[in-house]
Amino acid sequence: MNSMSGANSNRRDFFQLVLGWGAALFAFCASLAGAARFMIPNVLYEPNQRCKLLKPEEYEEGATFIAESRLFLVRKGNTFRAVSGVCTHLGCTVLRNSKGNGFHCPCHGSQFNENAVVTGGPAPRPLPWYLVELSRDGRLVVNAAHVVAADKYLVV
Amino acid sequence: MLKKLWAQLLGTRIGRSVFRVGLPASNLQRAQVAISSFLLHMQPAKVHQRTLKFSTTLGLGLITLYLFFILIITGVLLMFYYVPSTDLAYQSMKDLEFVVTAGMVLRNMHRWAAHLMVIFVMLHMCRVFYTGAYKQPREFNWVIGVILFILTLALSFTGYLLPWDQLAFWAITVGSSIAGYAPIVGEKIKFILLGGHTVGQAALLRFYVLHVVLLPGAALVLIGIHLWRVRKDGGLARPGEPAFTQEELPATALPTTKSYGLMELAHGTTPAVGVEPDDEVFTWPNLIFREILVFMLVVVLLLVLAIFWNAPLEEFANPVHPPNPAKAPWYFLGLQELVSYSALWGGVIVPALIVVALVALPYLDRRRAGIGVWFSRERKVALSIFSICLVTMIVLTIIGSVFRGPNWSFQVPWKPNIVAEER
Ligand code: HEM
Ligand code: FES
Repeated sequence: MNSMSGANSNRRDFFQLVLGWGAALFAFCASLAGAARFMIPNVLYEPNQRCKLLKPEEYEEGATFIAESRLFLVRKGNTFRAVSGVCTHLGCTVLRNSKGNGFHCPCHGSQFNENAVVTGGPAPRPLPWYLVELSRDGRLVVNAAHVVAADKYLVV
Repeated sequence: MLKKLWAQLLGTRIGRSVFRVGLPASNLQRAQVAISSFLLHMQPAKVHQRTLKFSTTLGLGLITLYLFFILIITGVLLMFYYVPSTDLAYQSMKDLEFVVTAGMVLRNMHRWAAHLMVIFVMLHMCRVFYTGAYKQPREFNWVIGVILFILTLALSFTGYLLPWDQLAFWAITVGSSIAGYAPIVGEKIKFILLGGHTVGQAALLRFYVLHVVLLPGAALVLIGIHLWRVRKDGGLARPGEPAFTQEELPATALPTTKSYGLMELAHGTTPAVGVEPDDEVFTWPNLIFREILVFMLVVVLLLVLAIFWNAPLEEFANPVHPPNPAKAPWYFLGLQELVSYSALWGGVIVPALIVVALVALPYLDRRRAGIGVWFSRERKVALSIFSICLVTMIVLTIIGSVFRGPNWSFQVPWKPNIVAEER
C-alpha cells in the first residue's frame, strides 16, 4: 500500500471522483429525464382531427354548430368555411351572437366578428379557420389539424 | 371515576406496555408523558405560558392541521367508492349521495373541510404576518409555509375535477388554460398536466393521482418539517425573545464514533433560552387538553356543516356546453377577475409575483421589530403593504364571485342578470 502514495493515489482519487461520482450523477440525471419523459404521453385518445360531415346541401345558410368537434360550419350561398368553436382565451365553447354575424364567449365575454377576428373582450387571438374539403362520396370533411386563412372557402 | 378507570387501565401490564407512562401524578411524570410518547413528543415537555393564550395564534395553524387530518380520513373512505374514469366518476358521486350509507355526509365533510382548509391556511398566514412571527430565525419555516399554502391550493384544485360534473369540468378547463399562458413552457406544462390537449380521461387520472397520492404525501412531509421547525426555532415567536445567534459548535464537541442526526447541529435557541422557570408550564395537561378541545370544536363544526349543507353536484360534464358564466373555484376568482382583463397578467404575472414576494418577505424585512406582537406600531410600512395587497385580493375575489353574471357582465348579487339560452 505504501508504494501507492504520491502520484498513484492522486490518480486514484481522480478516477474515484470523476468516474464514481460522474457515473452516479449521470445515472441520477438519466433517471430523472426518463421519469420526466414518461409523463409525456405518446398516444392520445382524443377525437379525430378530421371530421366527416353531411352533404353540403344539408346545411342551412349561416353558422351551424358541430358538437362532436366543437366547431362551426359557416355557409354563405355555395361557399363553405369551418371555424373553431373553442375560445382562444381560456377554452370555453363560444356561441353565435344573437345578430348571427359573429360569435361571443359566455365565460369572459370575448367577441368575434364574422371572420372570427376579436372585436372585444380578453381573447388574444382570432378563432382559427380550418380546411374544408369534399370527400369522394360528396360529403364535407373538416380538417382541424390544418389551419387556413379566413378568406379561404370551399366552393361547391 | 373516569380518571380512576384510566389510572387502573394504565397501571396494568398491558397498559404499561402500550403507554409507557401512567397517568402522571408528579411534575417529573408530566414531563415524562410528553417525552416518552411517540405522538406527544412532537411537543416539548414544557411550553411558554404565551403559547397557551388563545390570542397568540387564534389556534389557526392547529385548526389547519386538524382539517388536513380530517381530509385524509374522509378522503381515504371516499376512495373505496370513487372510480377515476370519465364514464364512472359521476356515477360514483351519485352512488355516494344516494346509495352508500353515510356517503353524503362523508362527501360533504370532505368538501367543506377542503374549503375550510384553504380559508384557515390563509388566516394562519395572515396571523403569522401580523404578529411578525416570520422573522429570524423563522424565515425558512415561513418559506415552508408558503409551499404548504401552494400545496393546499393544488390539493383543492385537483380534487375539484374529480366529480366530473359541469362545475368540475369547466373550472378545470378554464384553470388549466391559464397555465398555457406562461411564456415558452406554458403549453408544454398544460399538456403534461392534462396528459393531452383537452380535459379528458387522461387529465382525470392525472389529477386523481396527484390528489390522492403525490400532493397529500408532499404536504404530510412538509407539515412534519414545519412543526418540527416551530419547536427548533425556539417555540412560538414572543416579544423579548433573545436575539438569534448562530452558535458555532467546536468540531471536537461531537464524538466521531456516533452518527448524530442533523438536528443535533440545529441552532442554539431552545425554548428554555432566556426564560424564567415561572413562565413555563407543563405541556401535559395544559397544552394537550386545549389541543383536544380545539379538535372537538372543529369536528363539531364540520359535522354541522356536513349534515345541513350538501356539497354541490351539477349535471354530467358536457364539453360542448359551458355554463354561463364559467367560474374557477372561489379562491382563484380574484385571479379570474384579473384574467378577464388579461390572461397573462392575471394568470401568470400576478400569481408569480405573489409567490415571489411571499418567499422573499422574511429575507427583505429583517428588522427585529414587533416580533410576537399583533399589529406592532414599529412595522407600519410592512403592515400597510401587506394589508393593501390582501384587501385588493379580497375585493377582486368578491367581484369575481358575486358581481359577475352571464357573459362575465357586471351584476349586483341581489338582482342577477339573466340571459336566454342560445343555440
Ligand atoms: C398545511 C398548512 C399549514 C399547517 C398545517 C400549519 C401548522 C402550523 C402550526 C400547528 C403552527 C403552530 C402555531 C399555530 O398553531 O399557529 C404553525 C406555526 C407557524 N406557521 Fe404554519 N401551518 C401551515 C401553513 C403555513 C403557512 C402558509 C405559513 C406562511 C406562509 C406558515 C408559517 C408559519 C410560521 C412562521 C409559524 C411559526 C409562528 C410562530 O412562531 O409564532 N404556516 N404552523
Ligand atoms: S374563455 Fe372565452 S372569454 Fe374567457
